[in-house]
Amino acid sequence: MEEEPMEEANARIPKRPFWSGAVTIGLVNVPVKLYTMTFDKAFSFRFLHKQDGQPLKYQKVCVRDNAVVPWEDTVRGYEVSKNRFIVFQKEELDAARPQSSQKIRIDKFVDYLSIDPIYFERSYVLAPDKSNEAYSLLLTSLQKTHKAGAGRITLRTKEYPVLLHAYKGALVLTTLRYAYEISDPNNFEELKRLMEPEKKELDLAVKIINDLSGEFDITEYEDTYEERIRKLIAKKLKGETIVAEKPVKEEAKELMAALQETLNQLKKQ
Amino acid sequence: MTKVEFTNLDKVLYPEVRVKKAQVIQHYIRMAPRMLGILKNRPIVLTRFPDGVDKEGFYEKDMPLSTPSWVKIFKKHSETAKREINYVVCNDLDTLVWLANLAALELHMTLSKIDEFEKPDLVVFDVDPEPSVGMDDVVDAALMLKEKLEDLDLRSYVKTSGKKGLHILVPIVREYTFNQTREYVHQIGRYLARESPVVVSEFSRSKKPGTVYIDYLQNSHGRTMVCPYSLRATPRATVSMPLDWRDVKKGLKPEEFTLSAVAKSESNPWKGMLEDKQKLEKSVD
Repeated sequence: MEEEPMEEANARIPKRPFWSGAVTIGLVNVPVKLYTMTFDKAFSFRFLHKQDGQPLKYQKVCVRDNAVVPWEDTVRGYEVSKNRFIVFQKEELDAARPQSSQKIRIDKFVDYLSIDPIYFERSYVLAPDKSNEAYSLLLTSLQKTHKAGAGRITLRTKEYPVLLHAYKGALVLTTLRYAYEISDPNNFEELKRLMEPEKKELDLAVKIINDLSGEFDITEYEDTYEERIRKLIAKKLKGETIVAEKPVKEEAKELMAALQETLNQLKKQ
Repeated sequence: MTKVEFTNLDKVLYPEVRVKKAQVIQHYIRMAPRMLGILKNRPIVLTRFPDGVDKEGFYEKDMPLSTPSWVKIFKKHSETAKREINYVVCNDLDTLVWLANLAALELHMTLSKIDEFEKPDLVVFDVDPEPSVGMDDVVDAALMLKEKLEDLDLRSYVKTSGKKGLHILVPIVREYTFNQTREYVHQIGRYLARESPVVVSEFSRSKKPGTVYIDYLQNSHGRTMVCPYSLRATPRATVSMPLDWRDVKKGLKPEEFTLSAVAKSESNPWKGMLEDKQKLEKSVD
């Protein structure tokens, strides 16, 4: 039986929109669908039972009597101190949740390049939903001004600051982290006592940087782990067994090369 | 490619010249094609420096506790230790690499093989200078020895000891006992001592400053000599380097044969040595 790997990294298009609603700027509405655009991992594995190869499921187990607890018998607890919890009912939490308004509300337009990427979290592709014209107008005007719309969106249970910007002929929405989710480097003791570099050293460092300057190209960086796993999957599908090899450290590679050379010589003797 | 799992490759074993364990292993891998032939079936004694040559090292006659099962072992009762010693025998690349990974910097081998342990197949002349003697005097003594051996119809092979001296070897048929080979070497030493004011042939006079001692006592049961291409535990990572006799001349500097200097060497000045089994037929005087 011929099987294809389920995932093809570069050609992945999500089947269903992740969210649909409208971008609103003042009184203007642009109906859009949101698709997932970034993927954390190329491969995800499922846990199986070693003996019979069946998938395993997670269950919630009570720490006191090891009884399996069904979903409807659970509540949320906030641990105030070790093993002391404040209990919340589902209804209490739901009431505090932001209203999901199906809207991406844009408050103002900012210079896209002025925003530090530290804040960027996840990106989503926006596709036009029914109306092509409004979408195209918004996209083209952002491209022309090199601006990004700043605003907010509610996804599931959380409200995020977002940026709406043009990327490769599409509108892309990037959720941002809140200021409190990012630590301030000024709080690190080690950074408070930095010395001024010597001018001579600085000149040399600047020269090195200038010499090594170039255009950034993400395709120059390859994920070797994912590449290896991909090959292993292809082999397994063809029915080949895989011999586990210990990873060779960089420093051992030279030794391996020398070993190969010596083994070749010894063969000739 | 190897059964050995490398450990602590970054460990500096020769601090003065910043040589790490990875380079030591590299050295033994590179030299293996020229070492394994002569090491074959010979018990070896290790000198290990796990923390580098500037820290304490130790001799190890008995196999280390961690010796893997695939390493060949030679059991021999030792008269001095009054017990059985398990010697390591280095018959393959894996064993050599394993020894290097143990930081066994110096490998010393016996002059006989395990299948006929009482009959040496090598005769060694250890040309060993006392301080204040220059290298040129050592070279003179070695060349005199070579000439004398040629008079006796013996072809000889020379290497640096890795320290100050030279080792001159004569491979022989396994027909003589250690008592016989030792006596033969001693006779030649005495002959040279008569001919040269610098050479001494007796152990009792060997520490006399300004002399070159021809040590014959190594030709004894169970005694070892540092094997060719072995590193030494010297600050500059010197090697016991086999030489072409044509290169043994005034100006020879044995201290120049360091790990990094010999890394590119490919020639084998001892080519054919293992097959060159000779008889000690002519009498010395």
